[in-house]
Amino acid sequence: MASVASGDHIVDLRYDALGHGAAACAPTLADAGVDAVIVDGDLADAVTDAAAGRLRVLTDGDPTLDTAALFGIEGSGAPVMRLSGTVLGVKPLRAGEGVSYGYLHRAAHDTRIALVTGGYAQGVVRALGGRAHVRVRGALHPIIGRVAMDVCVVDVQEAEIRRGDPVVFFGDPSRGEPPLEEWVSSTGMGAAELVALVGARVRRDHE
Amino acid sequence: MSEAILSVDLDAFAANVATARSRVAPADVMLVVKDDAYAHGIPAIVMRAWQEGVRWFGAFDVPTGRAVREALGHEPRIFVWLAFGEDELRSVAELDLDLGVGDAALLEEIAAVGGRTRVHLKVDSGLHRNGVRPEEWPAFVERAAQLERVGAIEVVGIWSHIAEASDAEDDAARAAFDLAVRQAEEAGLRPALRHLAASAASFARGEFRYDLCRIGAFCYGIRPSGGPSDAVLGIRPIATLRAPVISVDGESVVVGVGSLDGLPSTLAGRFDVTTPAGPRRVTRIDGRRSWVESWPDAAPGQLVDVFGREAAASATDLAELIGTIGEEVALRVSPRVPREYRGA
Repeated sequence: MASVASGDHIVDLRYDALGHGAAACAPTLADAGVDAVIVDGDLADAVTDAAAGRLRVLTDGDPTLDTAALFGIEGSGAPVMRLSGTVLGVKPLRAGEGVSYGYLHRAAHDTRIALVTGGYAQGVVRALGGRAHVRVRGALHPIIGRVAMDVCVVDVQEAEIRRGDPVVFFGDPSRGEPPLEEWVSSTGMGAAELVALVGARVRRDHE
Repeated sequence: MSEAILSVDLDAFAANVATARSRVAPADVMLVVKDDAYAHGIPAIVMRAWQEGVRWFGAFDVPTGRAVREALGHEPRIFVWLAFGEDELRSVAELDLDLGVGDAALLEEIAAVGGRTRVHLKVDSGLHRNGVRPEEWPAFVERAAQLERVGAIEVVGIWSHIAEASDAEDDAARAAFDLAVRQAEEAGLRPALRHLAASAASFARGEFRYDLCRIGAFCYGIRPSGGPSDAVLGIRPIATLRAPVISVDGESVVVGVGSLDGLPSTLAGRFDVTTPAGPRRVTRIDGRRSWVESWPDAAPGQLVDVFGREAAASATDLAELIGTIGEEVALRVSPRVPREYRGA
């Protein structure tokens, strides 16, 4: 294991960089002047390859840079992760009709609903039904009824939305995307545990 | 790498599967294995289920269907709830999957792929998620019958989901389902497989069983929140989340599992884990560590059963403390936590 000199910039990338992908983050961190990263033992080789000799790769120790600020969670820095789903279909919901398990939500008036990929198996916490919004085609719409294991239902009213449209669950509020903070306040859970599970469970891409 | 481990007892799983099969007979069990077999791990689960006589697997999506096909070969029937886009629809045909179709556009898309895919048409019997609404159903089954006659698809099943809101509302959903089946038959379809029930209804209500019951939770030993006990259902949890003692810190023992492993931080102060000295309260849950009330002779390296089969609290017991269901607690266990299997 490499030694750590004082004054080094050290970043904690354990838990696969809180679900962001440790190997994918490594080159960017090297570009930014980071000296060393702390990683999960099983990912050390992958991160070492990705860093191409530009970072020291540790499996223990303490970071010198704030992990929350690095990933833009807990109110510091710009958010790094965006969670997206896809509209599977749009259909009418009539006044009085219930939606999803337990009929927790009933339509107050005729509306249209979109079935969207993303449920609690992907880290879309079940408690978010009726308490969070998604963004589709530039507008925010509420998640209604119980979040299911792999899908949830969104009330889109008269918006022009079609099967295949992308849906943003959380992302960068400066781009109009719902903030992760809405999930934190609705679930009582921490930002780090929310993003770590999402990142571990969904297909990731990096831009 | 996480220090915690998820230990899955495949003999306990087999016992739950046997309970489910005898409970719903003569209907068949479709073992639901979506989301990596509810986070228990597809290969080990489906191989054991196949040995135990399960012939139908419910995979939800095409990647899961592919994983089951790769584990078990060409024999099992594998049902996917949906598929999306041309690539996935071609995979449905290549992998010889049964496809759920609850959308008129998807019916045209799968027919266009060719290959006479076996489809199960989905009616919206009231849940208002996926599925064709009853007023659009007659035209939908008419079109499906046309496509079947020209050999583009084969309609083998009719299915739906129920809300489990109340018996009366579920009965209304069942009436809507029966009507949809009759209308499909009037359109000239001969679907041999009707499936409506998941775990709870298939155990509790015989008239919901039809030909196939889609059972996931109960086979993994996850009882419903606020519902019948494990003993009443004849099931038991199959997995144990286990973690090592890292250090002893005065009145507390620090254990190597945390919210980043998937133990919800909202459980802090609310439940007991099973230690070598018996149950002890969890007082704090951080990202990588939890703090547990100490016990005599506590020492690093001892193992603590956090929840599940060998612990004081099951996934559903924990879920009830934080207003959710056992499936969510089970599925939050991170895929980065290694799985180990007993009885393999």
